[in-house]
Amino acid sequence: MSNKINPQDVLRALSVIQDPDLHRDIVSLGFIKDLAIDDHRVSFTIQLTTPACPVKDQLAAQAKQAVQALGVPEVNVQVTSQVAPGRGPRTPLIPLVKNTVAVASGKGGVGKSTVAANLAIALNLAGAKVGLMDTDVYGPSVPVLMGGSEPPRVVEGKLEPPVEYGIKLISMAYFLPKDEAVIWRGPMLHKTIQQFLGDVRWGELDYLIMDLPPGTGDIQLSLSQTIPLTGAVIVSTPQDLALTVAAKAIAMFKKLNVPILGIVENMSTYVCPQCGYREEIFGHGGAREAANKLGIPFLGEIPLDPSIRIQSDRGKPVALDGSTPYGKAFQDVAAALAAQISIVNYQTPQGITIE
Amino acid sequence: MQPIPARIKLAGENSAVVVTWSDGHVSAYAYRYLRGKCPCATCSESGPPAEAAPSPFPIFGVKPLAPERAELVGRYALQIYWNDGHSSGIYAFDYLRDLCPCAECSAKRERAANTH
Repeated sequence: MSNKINPQDVLRALSVIQDPDLHRDIVSLGFIKDLAIDDHRVSFTIQLTTPACPVKDQLAAQAKQAVQALGVPEVNVQVTSQVAPGRGPRTPLIPLVKNTVAVASGKGGVGKSTVAANLAIALNLAGAKVGLMDTDVYGPSVPVLMGGSEPPRVVEGKLEPPVEYGIKLISMAYFLPKDEAVIWRGPMLHKTIQQFLGDVRWGELDYLIMDLPPGTGDIQLSLSQTIPLTGAVIVSTPQDLALTVAAKAIAMFKKLNVPILGIVENMSTYVCPQCGYREEIFGHGGAREAANKLGIPFLGEIPLDPSIRIQSDRGKPVALDGSTPYGKAFQDVAAALAAQISIVNYQTPQGITIE
Repeated sequence: MQPIPARIKLAGENSAVVVTWSDGHVSAYAYRYLRGKCPCATCSESGPPAEAAPSPFPIFGVKPLAPERAELVGRYALQIYWNDGHSSGIYAFDYLRDLCPCAECSAKRERAANTH
């Protein structure tokens, strides 16, 4: 039997393995590539929809087991990924950007920019091509968070974004003397958003993360009208007040038909470095409860830790180091986010044709 | 998930915009009806322009109302550029769906209005 393995048998064995997020088997999803069989060896590649897949190793182990159970002595499993592009309407402004993710909140000061920067870092570390766009024109903070001082350059009439930690960046802060302020009304903001999208050489990206200003105003509306966003991530502290306002941001995105990818609870728990005592300064678990109530995915909790603030101010986002609890927290949230993006892309109907 | 358009045909039969929705429903909106439901601030304030009076100089003819082109707005709405020069109406998909003039949807609207 073992020297007469037939590809159909292998695929049948693999088809019992379900992708836990997409709720379909990995064969009918088209994840199995390059299936090769010789006498005593079967090798194949599992191509996932994101390099940040949280169940990567689990799927590979299950696949190996399933084929071994056929009596194959040697099974070689490779895992790769190809990020699926958003299936909503396409935009000519950023044709090579596969997914656009807005990081938003109701209230200010909940850590949107810190979360956005660290999610970008974590996705990049997982192997994705990532850009980070600071749409907070009034209070741009991405360049400080990401370090570096190189401004964008003009190449062939377009802006070449600076790259820090492998991530392409754009921010209003690059175009403004440090102590100057932007004092603009809506139409100017709208124009800036359009330029940040269309006049920046983003090139090919798996994920473009967009750090939004707080609230439900001009920039949020301009962005949602200018491009078909893949989805939005809502950042909130566990505090009731912040969550009440976060619900308004969620309502806005629902109205604009932008999928909500999930809620992140920031400033979750503080653990005293001296004695290990846990203090829940803004409460704890509120965002998870709110997510459950609203039927929205909960992406995870980021602890309140002075190191996050210190490293943010130094331009060294904590997600660069997954060995710390907070670095790990950001990487877990990024994996959960990547999974939600794959789910949304899988559920969204094909683009809209106008004739 | 609420239905969104899958296909939008601007030059549909009988001078209508024909929308095929993601749930399979098909809506046909006569141009004059759809233009009359323009949700922009100006139209909802003062109403859409009346149908053009018959031209006193028939030799020049009067171009019948029609959409010239349309664009998607983000992932929630359709912006129609009418040949009367008006284009500021952004028809959100759920609004558009609520406007569906087919017998089934009209009856549903009527029932909803009666229960209020």
